[in-house]
Amino acid sequence: MRLGRRLAGLGLAVAAAFGITFGADAQERKFKIGVIYDYSGPLAGGGSSLHGLGAKIMIDHFISKGPVEGYTIEAIYADAQSRPEVAINEAVRLVEQEKVDMLLGFFSSAQCVPVAGRVEQLGKFMWITTCISTAVLENRNYKFVFRPQAMGQHFGMTATDMIAAYSKEKFGKEPKDLRVAIIHEDGAYGVDVARGNEAGAKKHGLNVVLKEGYAATAPDLSALVTKLRRARPDVILHTGYNPDISLFLRQAREGGLKFGALVGHGAGYGVPEKLREALGKDLVGFFNVDPISIWETNQAALTPDLPPIVKMVGEAYDKAQPGNQRSPHVGMAASNVYLFLQHVLPRAIKAHGGVNAEALRKAALEIDFPEGGTMLGFGVKFAGDGAMAGQNERAAPVVIEYTANGADVVWPRSQAKRPPTLPLPAGNPYTTR
Amino acid sequence: MGFFDIFLVEALVNGLLLGGVLALLALGLNLIFGVIDVAWICYAELVMFGMYAMYYFVIVFGLSYWVAAPMAIALIGVMGVLLHVLVIAPLLGTAPINQLLATGGVLFFLQSLATVAFGIDFRNLGIRLPTLEVAEVFVSYARLLAFGAALTGMLALWLFLTRTYTGTAIRAIAQDREIMALMGVDTRRVYVITSAVGGALAGLASCLLVLQYDVHPFVGLSFGPITFMICVMGGLGNMIGGFIAAFIFAEIISIGGLYLDLEWGYVFAFVFFIAMMFVRPEGLLARRS
Repeated sequence: MRLGRRLAGLGLAVAAAFGITFGADAQERKFKIGVIYDYSGPLAGGGSSLHGLGAKIMIDHFISKGPVEGYTIEAIYADAQSRPEVAINEAVRLVEQEKVDMLLGFFSSAQCVPVAGRVEQLGKFMWITTCISTAVLENRNYKFVFRPQAMGQHFGMTATDMIAAYSKEKFGKEPKDLRVAIIHEDGAYGVDVARGNEAGAKKHGLNVVLKEGYAATAPDLSALVTKLRRARPDVILHTGYNPDISLFLRQAREGGLKFGALVGHGAGYGVPEKLREALGKDLVGFFNVDPISIWETNQAALTPDLPPIVKMVGEAYDKAQPGNQRSPHVGMAASNVYLFLQHVLPRAIKAHGGVNAEALRKAALEIDFPEGGTMLGFGVKFAGDGAMAGQNERAAPVVIEYTANGADVVWPRSQAKRPPTLPLPAGNPYTTR
Repeated sequence: MGFFDIFLVEALVNGLLLGGVLALLALGLNLIFGVIDVAWICYAELVMFGMYAMYYFVIVFGLSYWVAAPMAIALIGVMGVLLHVLVIAPLLGTAPINQLLATGGVLFFLQSLATVAFGIDFRNLGIRLPTLEVAEVFVSYARLLAFGAALTGMLALWLFLTRTYTGTAIRAIAQDREIMALMGVDTRRVYVITSAVGGALAGLASCLLVLQYDVHPFVGLSFGPITFMICVMGGLGNMIGGFIAAFIFAEIISIGGLYLDLEWGYVFAFVFFIAMMFVRPEGLLARRS
């Protein structure tokens, strides 16, 4: 009897011990992701909240599937309020108070640059889904900051590659005679893309007749319009957010500015429904450099696991924002988050023993996908060291041309649905035709 | 290119028209400060609400622009009264910093309220006005309208202040708050009327700005600081000073932006502002004591 009681007691103790162990284990086996985008402030409507939505769709998808290699995913969302200092404070709060295992997101390059340095100092892993400034990674030698996204200079050079390639055929001018104006908002993003434009123009021998920056919150851009009229560019390469793009194009129209082509570079130019609202059919014929919309990629060229995910993201987006045109921004963030949750995280847990920054870094560096390895069409191989450590060296944007109802990929030729319409079509109020 | 060219003329015209927009914004702010002695830091946010009102009246409720405009002006006039009654009046006897902080708080409140109520999307009326071309110089109709409204508003305000009994009372209170109360003038009523007129002027500005700018909860950031600087440069409360300062500011931005980098235009305007604060701290038209 006494022995029985003792055995029962021992059993209870063992069970309790196991129980406690299980409980502790369950608590420890949680993977906390701090997600930071701008859900308020000017950048929210400029595309940041759409990226936040894309990331959330994918995170929720993985949460619904259950634990990843035994780790339950938990996301904590924070609002950077379109302000770099808030982004830094939120990043530090998520790491120090919420004890997240990593940070993910970031729309604005002006936020990315300081936040990346701070997160690296804190020894945490950072996965940048969106911001494109080269300066975020260039010569920083970060160990734990990774960006699957193409960088700003890629964007800038892609625009000039297309313009130079069609200079003779479409404009009837040698590249050296083609007059190009580079205008940009003066933050980290605009400056970086403009650097790419300038480098690309130099590479192809294009004639840069004006290069000008402006504050995205400037109440008036009519002086810029006047300068452009004086410079008489054939092509305008423009990098901006949404309110300044609308203001510029409205004042350009009122100011009688004419040009042969306008190429935008993501951000505000990647939100076509807002541009259509402001510009109406004037938008037709404008170009935008951005990663391809996941709904526009050649599905047959993607790895087999991707098309169902593309479909899932589209359906989730339609449910979240019924009636809206599917935004490329949403797909971009969803694709980059998928890459992390599907490939980096499980590999870190299985092959490198956990979810700390070192294990995640090792896993990220092992990824080696050829073209077609992501929903955005490009492959993945991160630079482990060197001037651009942490950058996906295989990421590349495309050029799309806005049409009356949608958009077509027109560059590079390998992915183009058709050649670009150059110069701007007749009937467009900006056209030189 | 010679120093003087057609583009300089265009820059001058653009500066003049931008000056009209800024002068219109400065008008109401100066009136409030001149009479009540409180700077509405949140003035540009009232303009933002006026722009939203125009958007909803025209796009959502399908009213014509000309019907919507007086309704928006009246609505923002009422908002001006509410701002005075709920926030300013209880603080009138306190230190100026308290009033400044209170209206600063209202600024953030209105931005947040707009974010919650209207969302973060950029909205616009989608009205595209024709372009006026005179001898290769292009003039924006929207800006021309704002310019005309600024002049008309200034004239109407001057007539109201000089030709009506209420206007005379407002001017009298602007000169001496304490003595007018002792002489039996109902200062509270005058303050409420002034707030309504100041709000209505913000409403008028919003009707014209909505033709040129997208509206979003933070659109006030583009105008608020610059409007405040213009009022200070013109002499807070001095409407003619503010009017002149707006045009000086706008011309510096426009011509500076044409001959140098665009950002230098703003740098020169701000340097000019700082220099004026040393030379004439009481404002451009202040009399030396």
